[in-house]
Amino acid sequence: MASSDYSSPYGPPSSPDGHSSPIPNTDSSPPIPPSTNGGRRRRRRTPTPNPNSYQTPTRSSIPPTSPLSNTFSTPRRRGTPSTPLSASDAGDEFSDPADPTPVFVWGTNISVPDVNAAILRFLRNFRGPHDDPDSLEQGKYMRAIDRIIKSEAGESVDVDAHDVFDYDPDLYAKMVRYPLEVLVIFELVLMDMVARLDPSYEKHIQPRIFNLKSSVSMRNLNPSDIEKMVSVKGMIIRCSSIIPVVKEAVFRCLICGYYSDPVLLDRGRINEPTRCGRQECLALNSMTLVHNRCSFTDKQIVKLQETPDEIPEGGTPHTVSIIMHGKLVDSGKPGDRVEITGVYRAMSVRVGPTQRTVKSLFKTYIDCLHLKKTDKSRLHIEDPMERDDNSSTKRTASEDDSLDYEDKVEKLKELAKQPDIYDRLTRSLAPNIWELDDVKRGLLCQLFGGSAVKLQLGTSCRGDINILLVGDPGTSKSQLLQYMHKLSPRGIYTSGRGSSAVGLTAYVTKDPETGETVLESGALVLSDRGVCCIDEFDKMSENARSMLHEVMEQQTVSIAKAGIIASLNARTSVLACANPSGSRYNPRLSVIDNIHLPPTLLSRFDLIYLILDKPDEHTDRRLAKHIVALHFENPESIVHDVLDLPTLTAYISYARKHVHPQLSEEAAEKLVCGYVEMRKRGNFPGSGKKVITATARQIESLIRLSEALARMRFSEWVNGKDVDEAFRLLEVAMQQSATDHATGTIDMDLITTGISASERMRRENLLTATRNLVMDKMQLGGPSTRLTELLEELRKQNSFEVHLNDLRNALATLMSEGIVSLHGDSVKRI
Amino acid sequence: MVGPLYDFVANPFGAVRLSFEQAVAASPAVDPVAAFAGKDWGALDLFRDFLLEKGGLSQVPILDASSRQWIQPNSLVRFRGMVQDMLGKELYIGAFQDGSNWRTNKYSDGALFPMPAGCQSAYESNLWERLLLHCVPVPGHNSWAMHSTPPQVFRNVMDNSMYEHGEKRQRDEEIDENNEHGGSPSSKKQKEGEHPCQLNHSSQGSLVQGGFSEPRNGASLSCVIKMYDTPECDLKLNDVFEFIAIYTFDPEVVAYKEDADDLMDDLLDDPLMHLPPSKVPRLHCLICRKLAIQDFVSSPLSVELPSMIKGIRGSLLSHLTQVLGNDGLAGECLLLHLLSRLRARVDAVSVGKLSLNLTGFNGETASIFGNRITSAIQSLLPFSQYIPLTVDYLNTATLQPKKNNQTGRLIPGVLQLAQGTHLTIDESHLQPGNLDSNGVHNARLLKKLIEQLSVEYDFEFYTSEMTADVQLLILSDGKSNIMPADLVLPFCPNAVNSIANPSPEELQSWRWYLDTLRSLPYSSQPDLHQDELVAAMREDRSLGCQQLNRWLTMARLISVSFGEEELSLEHWQMFKEIERLRKERIK
Repeated sequence: MASSDYSSPYGPPSSPDGHSSPIPNTDSSPPIPPSTNGGRRRRRRTPTPNPNSYQTPTRSSIPPTSPLSNTFSTPRRRGTPSTPLSASDAGDEFSDPADPTPVFVWGTNISVPDVNAAILRFLRNFRGPHDDPDSLEQGKYMRAIDRIIKSEAGESVDVDAHDVFDYDPDLYAKMVRYPLEVLVIFELVLMDMVARLDPSYEKHIQPRIFNLKSSVSMRNLNPSDIEKMVSVKGMIIRCSSIIPVVKEAVFRCLICGYYSDPVLLDRGRINEPTRCGRQECLALNSMTLVHNRCSFTDKQIVKLQETPDEIPEGGTPHTVSIIMHGKLVDSGKPGDRVEITGVYRAMSVRVGPTQRTVKSLFKTYIDCLHLKKTDKSRLHIEDPMERDDNSSTKRTASEDDSLDYEDKVEKLKELAKQPDIYDRLTRSLAPNIWELDDVKRGLLCQLFGGSAVKLQLGTSCRGDINILLVGDPGTSKSQLLQYMHKLSPRGIYTSGRGSSAVGLTAYVTKDPETGETVLESGALVLSDRGVCCIDEFDKMSENARSMLHEVMEQQTVSIAKAGIIASLNARTSVLACANPSGSRYNPRLSVIDNIHLPPTLLSRFDLIYLILDKPDEHTDRRLAKHIVALHFENPESIVHDVLDLPTLTAYISYARKHVHPQLSEEAAEKLVCGYVEMRKRGNFPGSGKKVITATARQIESLIRLSEALARMRFSEWVNGKDVDEAFRLLEVAMQQSATDHATGTIDMDLITTGISASERMRRENLLTATRNLVMDKMQLGGPSTRLTELLEELRKQNSFEVHLNDLRNALATLMSEGIVSLHGDSVKRI
Repeated sequence: MVGPLYDFVANPFGAVRLSFEQAVAASPAVDPVAAFAGKDWGALDLFRDFLLEKGGLSQVPILDASSRQWIQPNSLVRFRGMVQDMLGKELYIGAFQDGSNWRTNKYSDGALFPMPAGCQSAYESNLWERLLLHCVPVPGHNSWAMHSTPPQVFRNVMDNSMYEHGEKRQRDEEIDENNEHGGSPSSKKQKEGEHPCQLNHSSQGSLVQGGFSEPRNGASLSCVIKMYDTPECDLKLNDVFEFIAIYTFDPEVVAYKEDADDLMDDLLDDPLMHLPPSKVPRLHCLICRKLAIQDFVSSPLSVELPSMIKGIRGSLLSHLTQVLGNDGLAGECLLLHLLSRLRARVDAVSVGKLSLNLTGFNGETASIFGNRITSAIQSLLPFSQYIPLTVDYLNTATLQPKKNNQTGRLIPGVLQLAQGTHLTIDESHLQPGNLDSNGVHNARLLKKLIEQLSVEYDFEFYTSEMTADVQLLILSDGKSNIMPADLVLPFCPNAVNSIANPSPEELQSWRWYLDTLRSLPYSSQPDLHQDELVAAMREDRSLGCQQLNRWLTMARLISVSFGEEELSLEHWQMFKEIERLRKERIK
């Protein structure tokens, strides 16, 4: 019965020198079988100076003929001892007890001394890529062990499986194939090493393997993976409470008071001795558990579920149970995305003693060796905008985690090299929305973003590009918005109609339980480092819109309410869309009149696009063609040569994270020239009116746009072409929005003050004309004149068109000058 | 010829066992555990031969709430159901050696023969796996489609006389079935009267309580299906399957956990814990087949003459018109609506759907015509659901399927529907009132369903979108804003007339017509429509992409309703006429 009982090779439980946990790595008791606890301590404290001494206990612990080797053999998948097949399979591996060389763990190709030596070599000699191979300094893992001993904090060494593979692929293969055996040896080696370095070090150090070369999808875990080392990614959905598990139990005889030797855990349970161990007593069923002499360890069961991206369409997520031990307990919370490295195991479903049918079912779980949080929900959220120097170390550990990733990066880089990448990206953005190519280019720039600059004084210059789309109903603005929302990391989509100021920024609430005031973040704060899409911007309340001023330039949200004064980061790009005030855009009015947005806010948008539904046969035809194609053609054939959504998102997030372009000399030169050129355009020779065609905000926009354009090419330098394109984009947007319809020139005053220069001029003229008229025709204190009469008079005198409203405005000015008084429709000179 | 050594229906394990022993004997040199893992050793061929070639299918009883009473455990059954939840994989000892004999545990819950003690660990390294599915009867399954058999098999049932075992009850069942198909309208009506009512009632009732997951008093029978050697990618949530499987059921309540290890068991355990074998039967699937709508519809005797299709169209249209109180336009629109189907999804645009909103339902008309419409639809389509929308309903119902991570189960919501289900939403009873957060959430779900034909399933930490190809008909007083439909039509009944009961043959041909034409392929001929669309756009600047989309969909459906793959000018004109009439009515 002995052999069949020991499902765990770590538990040679019948002998008192057996050791207990079902999981090797997490049990702090040494896996070698010392005869007693005391014995173990003794041995540890008396290390021999001989460097090979650590092998002695090992060799003695797993001799081929000892019962322990037998326990190793039973669970091996190579077959049962009774099957002749496995014997032939294992052939030369199976060692005859009579044969002294070489010694293999039964059923495996593991030779204990060989593996032992290989691990030792690895620990001693492995040097990371940054280490100088010839230096006398210790290797990466020796330093790690040293550190642990010195700090006395650690109980485990993290071992990067990639390092193992680089150093010794054979060891890596063995470790993944036979993790139970190899990890025991690994632990032994570590323990002896520690014992030699610092004999007084009490704690037990375990190896924690992580970063396997390949990870399995939870869906593909199958019986052949059992008892192999696997790495799975997923999301924690549930954690059990912490379960104290008896590691060693001590029993006392109720009759004679004899204390038993510590009984170790065997396959998750403690076997209570049925009779007293003392020869003189031997009483039956007299043993009782002594709680305070038992030792316990923590255990926790965690359910891991597939992440949404791994679930095929129409499927439900799979889950797998993870068992955490010791230090790993509580290292993950529900909702965390983690990567687990561990040993996949099966456990037979226990049948009660009363049950006659034998269950053939097994439960599976993963004994966790290492847990890594991989917070990559919704693409890489972290730090897409700013350079963060101290993240470089983190990066190596967390990102270059798989070949897979590097493959992807290579592919993205390939893409970036293509000459037409800019056009391809444009085409790929919302491919089902046609035309509007320049708008899409602008949106692309927004997705890529410029670089934020932190000045020394603590002020910063935003890198986010804000875009406003104004357009006729039914021009798929909302669809564009939805698409952007889907695409951008941390996108938030709100509709202006339903948003209040507090909902957008942040608000203070009272916690119903504690009564404390709590700061809750709104949409803008939540979309920090993302794109906040605001639909129906024009329907937003005045109050809410005014909150945006701070967000859009300073990128913070300040709160001073209910005793909380805080400034929250809201480094978000705002993408807003608005309908014209009359439901259709009136081309005779300026943008300002059309959208009814305060100019102060408008000027904070880098690009303002007018999406007008112009009656145009060509566009109509394309639209018709598109819709017809939608209905009559195979949908696959419509989409051509565009990047799919995942590629596009990956491309964007990679660029945001890794590419930080700087202005080249040439680009800087061009920017300056272009800006001056733009400013100059406002000065018409011989004309008295000053038109401002560009402001300082524009040059900032231009820099951001050209940086974003460089990013699209994965280029570290902004070149002249980028600047040219940025100018073009700005001009296209401005031509649409800032063109003064009266003169046809670009006039930034439209955006900044809402009144174009020519309009101002016109008003000025009207005012003078009116003043003259009043001075000429009306007597001081004379009878009042009706407005309409004045209007007719003015029209007669002047060549230009005069509206009643304009006249009222002019009279209002005159009134403030104290020349006339206005009562209803009658004007009187004072 | 001597019959087989075992009775396939009453003792399927016999066939499994024998074939396994034969297979082991045939290749003595191979370790059966490894050799037969994940594949069939010939047992399925035996069953296939028996069921399909020799017509044994007719002997296999259909498992449902009523037949469950008398079906013996460990016998062969047929079960039709919708995949409601996928419960992952289960590992088991596939084969073991009992003395000198090899035994298999495939297709059974536990070992039929006692396994030698301690053998668990010996086989631990070579386990077999099977998939677990939780299947429920299709929500909204209409009674006429319950027992109909696929046409080709059904005919076999008729002429094949293989009732060797004299299973009387089963024969009765068969006769019932025939009645249902060819029986008199009155008996039919009576049946319909009780069934849909019961269905609606049970689903409504449970909505409030939060799901119909547990089978109570056997009203709805859900099963755990164990699938062997089937790649998981072939199975999708909400697919409808027919399983031919071994039925096992253990009515004795088993103390599942008896150890001190409860804590551990609790979390290591699978969702099956909450579907105890004492309540939910287990089915070990031998053969399964994905069912589409046509599997529920039997075709009329002669097929597809264009004139015939036209005839069926005419009669169906006049029936619908009658149902709608002689409103011809509404009849046309309802016909198009019933023929619509999600064709493709290009980014955010769903092509081919045509949801219909009939407005003008108030108090009186609602009660008369609402019932008429729903019962007409029930008799035409295999799956249909009716939801009366009220503020209270919105606030209390669970529409969204939600994963309960505590139990590992997906709790069904009302909107977990089989593909091709027809959903009637009656808004006419909606009164002003306050929606709480659940109500708002539900309203949003409904809106998303009608706009994008997809339902968000709640997985606690994220939501996952599942496509739902459903036809949505909304009955409301004014234009519905909760459910913005593609096509809005004010409903103007002329008279509350009585409806002539359609004959079973007519019903059968209509069902066939709707199903066949729905799946008619499209062929392209785009130039004509382009010009038409451009012209229309010039006429009316307010036409948006959505409108044009609907136009084309409707025009297409008109030509489809005549059984034509191409959209001809004639049908385009017909569409324009309908659209003109509709516009007039809206004014």
